[in-house]
Amino acid sequence: MLRFVVIATVVFLSACYNAPDPGKTADVAGPAALAGAPARSFDVPRTDGRIDSVARHRGQVVLLNLWTTWCPPCRDELPALQRFARENAGKVVVLAVDQGESASVAAAFAKQRGVTFPILVDEQQQYGRAYKGIGLPTSVIVSRDGHVVKGIDGAMTLEQMRAAVAPALAQSAPQRRRGADM
Amino acid sequence: MSSRIAALAVAAIVIALAAAQDLYPRTPLYHTWQYALALAIGLTVTLAYANGARRGNDGTAGKRLLLAMAGAVVAGLAGLASGLLGPDTATVAGTPETVVPIPALAAAAFFGSADADTIARGSAGVIVRRKTAGEIALAPSARRILGESLLYLEPQPAAYVDAYDERGAHLTVTQPTNTAFLSPVLLFRQRQRIGALDVPFDTFATPALHRVVRALYFTPRDLAQFNRANAGSKEPALVLTAADDAGKPLGITLASSGSDVSIAGMRVRATVGTYPALAVASAPPAWALLLGVALFVLGLAWSALPQGS
Repeated sequence: MLRFVVIATVVFLSACYNAPDPGKTADVAGPAALAGAPARSFDVPRTDGRIDSVARHRGQVVLLNLWTTWCPPCRDELPALQRFARENAGKVVVLAVDQGESASVAAAFAKQRGVTFPILVDEQQQYGRAYKGIGLPTSVIVSRDGHVVKGIDGAMTLEQMRAAVAPALAQSAPQRRRGADM
Repeated sequence: MSSRIAALAVAAIVIALAAAQDLYPRTPLYHTWQYALALAIGLTVTLAYANGARRGNDGTAGKRLLLAMAGAVVAGLAGLASGLLGPDTATVAGTPETVVPIPALAAAAFFGSADADTIARGSAGVIVRRKTAGEIALAPSARRILGESLLYLEPQPAAYVDAYDERGAHLTVTQPTNTAFLSPVLLFRQRQRIGALDVPFDTFATPALHRVVRALYFTPRDLAQFNRANAGSKEPALVLTAADDAGKPLGITLASSGSDVSIAGMRVRATVGTYPALAVASAPPAWALLLGVALFVLGLAWSALPQGS
């Protein structure tokens, strides 16, 4: 009997052990933390009424730009983004995703500024949440195979845009299925 | 005979105490010394009876019951180890569409998307992805054991906010003070004292109109205390207080879930409901509990058979 009491006591006293707390973690914040992760995609309307998403451009390098009309840095960045879209037509798809505003507001602004690349209207701010937007604008470079190459918080210059997409453009294009185009 | 019944009752209680960690995880009881002491006493009584039975003190039936006692000891030791050595229940919270690493489990929690309907129904889920094994999808009512941890979802107050200007154009909602800047989902992680009430609150902004809104979450009971006119309400609601960028107060209003309210030149619709946090509780391994229960039942059945069979 004494033996069992001793065993029970030893087990009981081991309560002194303090195991690590699995809850002591924090959100990984910011778009930069997304590098290497699969790019999230949501079907949302464009200002022209068509449905578009990141996933619909699989096989192409995508520069996703989260913005709003009321955001001064976004407005400042827009000319560089427009020029970048023109000089990289056919190589990089520029998708500007308006966060939370109505299509009419985004469309009027884009028309006024002469924007030619597609404007997606994400009223539910799904892209903003998924891409950990901690400010505006937020840019995300997506590789041809649908992974995030880089996430950038804040406005970029034209040179910074070119440098940001260069690694994604340098990656080899996905192998086409043999005979697919025959 | 009476000692046999007493020992069986104690063994059954030991198994029940251990199984309770899996069945009713939402209590800190399992990490208290009282719980550990109860299990330790139960195990001591069980082992004492088993020791006597092994020596033949309770005849053939007693020897056959050794199997049942072994089952109770397996389950009891698993429960004791989990209660004493396992970490306290931890809550891992994340905003919708975010990933929160859980290093202690070598896993990451993927918090599901949430729109207004999901928040209202409280139906958002969490996926736990492990580096070395498959993923575990947790629905709001589900419980899963991962190693020596029990995973389940705890619904937390949440609200999905839509804001419009006076012309009806949708406005961007931001949360400058939270990690999810561009999320219209409020998770009310801060608390504010209002008289005797301790009320969860969150803050959002509509930068296009230069408005900052504090949203206080009131349960129906809190609401009745705060405002007697709402004593009959059965749904939680928000009290919204708006200010401009400079902090100048611009109004206060009560927002019922799903209803539009006007405040500070905006129309705001807050859908109030819940969004889950992931709870990680220590729990006895499922195999130990199943083995313990199986041995206990087998031992009981064997002891009930006629002698010589």
